[in-house]
Amino acid sequence: MKKDSKTTQILGFIILLILFSLPFVAKPYTINLLTEMIIFSLYAVSYNLLLGFGGLLSFGHGMFLGLGAFTAGAMLQRIPGLPFFGAVLLGTLTATVIGLGVGCLLLRHKGSYYALLTLAFNALFHALAIKWHGVTGGDDGLPVKRPNINLGFVELPMFDVTVFYYVTLVVIGCAVLFCWYFTKTAMGKTVLLVRENEERMQFIGYNPAVSRMILFTLTAFFAGLAGSFYALFFKFVGVDAISIDMTTTALLMTFIGGTKSFFGPVLGAGFYIYFQNFLSNLTDRWPLFMGILFVIMVLFAPQGLSGLIRSLVELFGRLGNGKTFRKEKNVSGK
Amino acid sequence: MNVIIIFILHGLVYAGLLFLVSSGLTLVFGMMNVLNFAHASFYMLAAYFSYSLLKWTGNFWLCLLICPFLLFVIGALIERFLLRKVHVLGHLHELLLTFGIAFIISEMVKWIWGTAPLPIQVGGFLDGNVTILGIIYPTYRFFVLFCSIMIGLLMSYLLLKTRMGITVRSAVDDSEMVNALGVNTPRLFMFVFALGAALSGLAGVIAGPLLSINIGMATAILVDAFVVIVIGGFGSLIGAVVASLMIGQIQSFGALLFPKISLALIYLLMAIVLITKPSGLFGEKK
Repeated sequence: MKKDSKTTQILGFIILLILFSLPFVAKPYTINLLTEMIIFSLYAVSYNLLLGFGGLLSFGHGMFLGLGAFTAGAMLQRIPGLPFFGAVLLGTLTATVIGLGVGCLLLRHKGSYYALLTLAFNALFHALAIKWHGVTGGDDGLPVKRPNINLGFVELPMFDVTVFYYVTLVVIGCAVLFCWYFTKTAMGKTVLLVRENEERMQFIGYNPAVSRMILFTLTAFFAGLAGSFYALFFKFVGVDAISIDMTTTALLMTFIGGTKSFFGPVLGAGFYIYFQNFLSNLTDRWPLFMGILFVIMVLFAPQGLSGLIRSLVELFGRLGNGKTFRKEKNVSGK
Repeated sequence: MNVIIIFILHGLVYAGLLFLVSSGLTLVFGMMNVLNFAHASFYMLAAYFSYSLLKWTGNFWLCLLICPFLLFVIGALIERFLLRKVHVLGHLHELLLTFGIAFIISEMVKWIWGTAPLPIQVGGFLDGNVTILGIIYPTYRFFVLFCSIMIGLLMSYLLLKTRMGITVRSAVDDSEMVNALGVNTPRLFMFVFALGAALSGLAGVIAGPLLSINIGMATAILVDAFVVIVIGGFGSLIGAVVASLMIGQIQSFGALLFPKISLALIYLLMAIVLITKPSGLFGEKK
C-alpha cells in the first residue's frame, strides 16, 4: 500500500512537470487543446463527485457550467474594468447560489427522480437563456473579451496562449486537487457512506439529504468555475453551453474515463477532447461515434478507461506473481 | 368565447399526444424501474419513418399502421439484446444505456434526414376544416384527439379487463412476486417495453403533420413527458392522464395569456407539486 502511494506520488509529479514544461516545446495549437482539456477536466471531475462518489445521476450539470460562463461573459460586458478574477468569481458564485437553490428543491430525491428533476431544471435554464435575449444574446450567443491580469508590479497579457495556459493550469489544477482533497475529508467520506448505506448513516445520526445537498452545491461551484474559464477561453458563450448537450458531454467524459477512480474523469476529458478533435477532422458525424463508443463501454467496460488500465495492471501483476509462485514451488519441490 | 374554446381544444390535442408518449414511459418505469431516455427518440424516429414512407407510398393510413409496428420491433430488439444485458449491473447502467441509445438515434436521424425541419402533407379529407358550433377547427386536430382517446380507452380496457392487463398491473406493483408466481416476467417486460415504443411511435406519426418534424422534437416532448410523470406520479396511468391534461391546458393558455413566461409555467407547476406532494399526485409513497 505504501509503495503504491509512492508510485502515485512520483507519477503525479512527473505529469505536473510535463504539464509545466510543455509550452516550451509544443505548438500553440497543442497548448490550446491542452487548455481545453484542463478546463473540461474540472468539469468532468466535479460531475464525477456526484456520479461516482455520491451515486447520483444528474442530468443538470450543464446548467452550472452555462451559468458560470454566461455570468462571467455578461458581467465582463456590463461592468467596465472588471478584472479577470472578478469575472471568474462572479460566474462561480452565481452557479453556486443557484446550485444551492436547486439542491434545496432536490433534497428528498435520489435515483431516477433525481435524474429527471435535474434534467427538467436544465431544460428550464436552457429555455431561459434562449428567451432572455438582452443578457445572453439568445441564439446569437455572447461574445466575451478576455481582460489582462494586473498583479500590481506586472500585467499578464492574457491574449497570449501560453500565459492563459499557465493561469488555467494553476487555478483549475488547484481546484481539481481540492476536489481530490474533499474526497479524503470527513464530509467526503460521509457522502461516500451515504451512497453505500443510507439507512445506516441515518441511524448513526447523519442527515443524508443535507449531505447530498452540500455535495450538489459543491459540484455546482466547481462546474461554475470551469464555466467561467470556458467563457474566457473560447471568448464566446453560445446557448449550447447551458444545453442538455453540455450535460451529455460531462456524462460521456466521466463515463469513458471511469467513475470508480478519482482521476478517471481527467483521463476521460483528455480522451474526449482529443478524440473529438481527431474525429472532427475526418467526419462531421463524430457525436455518433462517441455515442457508439459510449454504448459499447456501458455494455462491455462499465468501469471505463481507468478500469481497463487497472485490470491490465492487475493482469500483469498476476502474471508476474504467478511466475515467482511457480519458482518458489519448484524450489520447495526439491 | 370562441377563442377560449379553441385554446381548450389546442390544449386537449397536445394533452392527447403527451398521454400517448408518457403512458408507455410510466408503465415501463413502474415495471422495470428503468427511466427510458430513449422513449422520446422512438417518437422522433417514427415521425421520420412516416415522412419517408409517405413520400414513397403517398398513403398516410399505411404510415399509421406500419411505423408503430416497426417501432414495436425495434423496441423489442433493444430490450432483448441491450437492456437485458446490463440489467445485472443495476439501474444506473440501464439508465445510461437508454441515454446512449437516445444519443445514437438522434445522431443517426441527423445523418440520414439532415438537420432541416421536414414538411409533411397528410392529404385526403384530414386536410380540411370542420365547423362545429360556429368554430372552424382543423379536421386533423380532431383526428389526433380521436386517436388518443381511442388508444386511451383501449389501454384501460386491456389493463383493467384482460388477464394480460392484470399481470401487467401486478408486475408494476411487485415484479418479483409476479415472477415467483410463475409468470415469465422477462418476456412480459419485453412486450411492455415494445408496446411503449409502439405507442410512442404512433404519437410520433400523428405529431408529424401537427407540429413539424425536426431534430429537436424528441427533447421537447421528453422533458414534457418527464414533467407529466413527475406530476402524475411514477407508474400511475391515471396520473399520466390527469397530468397530461393539466400540462396541455397550461401550454395552450400560457401561450395565450403569458407568452413571455409560458415556458416556465409547467416547471412552476412541477415545483409546486414537488414541494407539496413529492411522490406526485397519484404516486404511491415508496
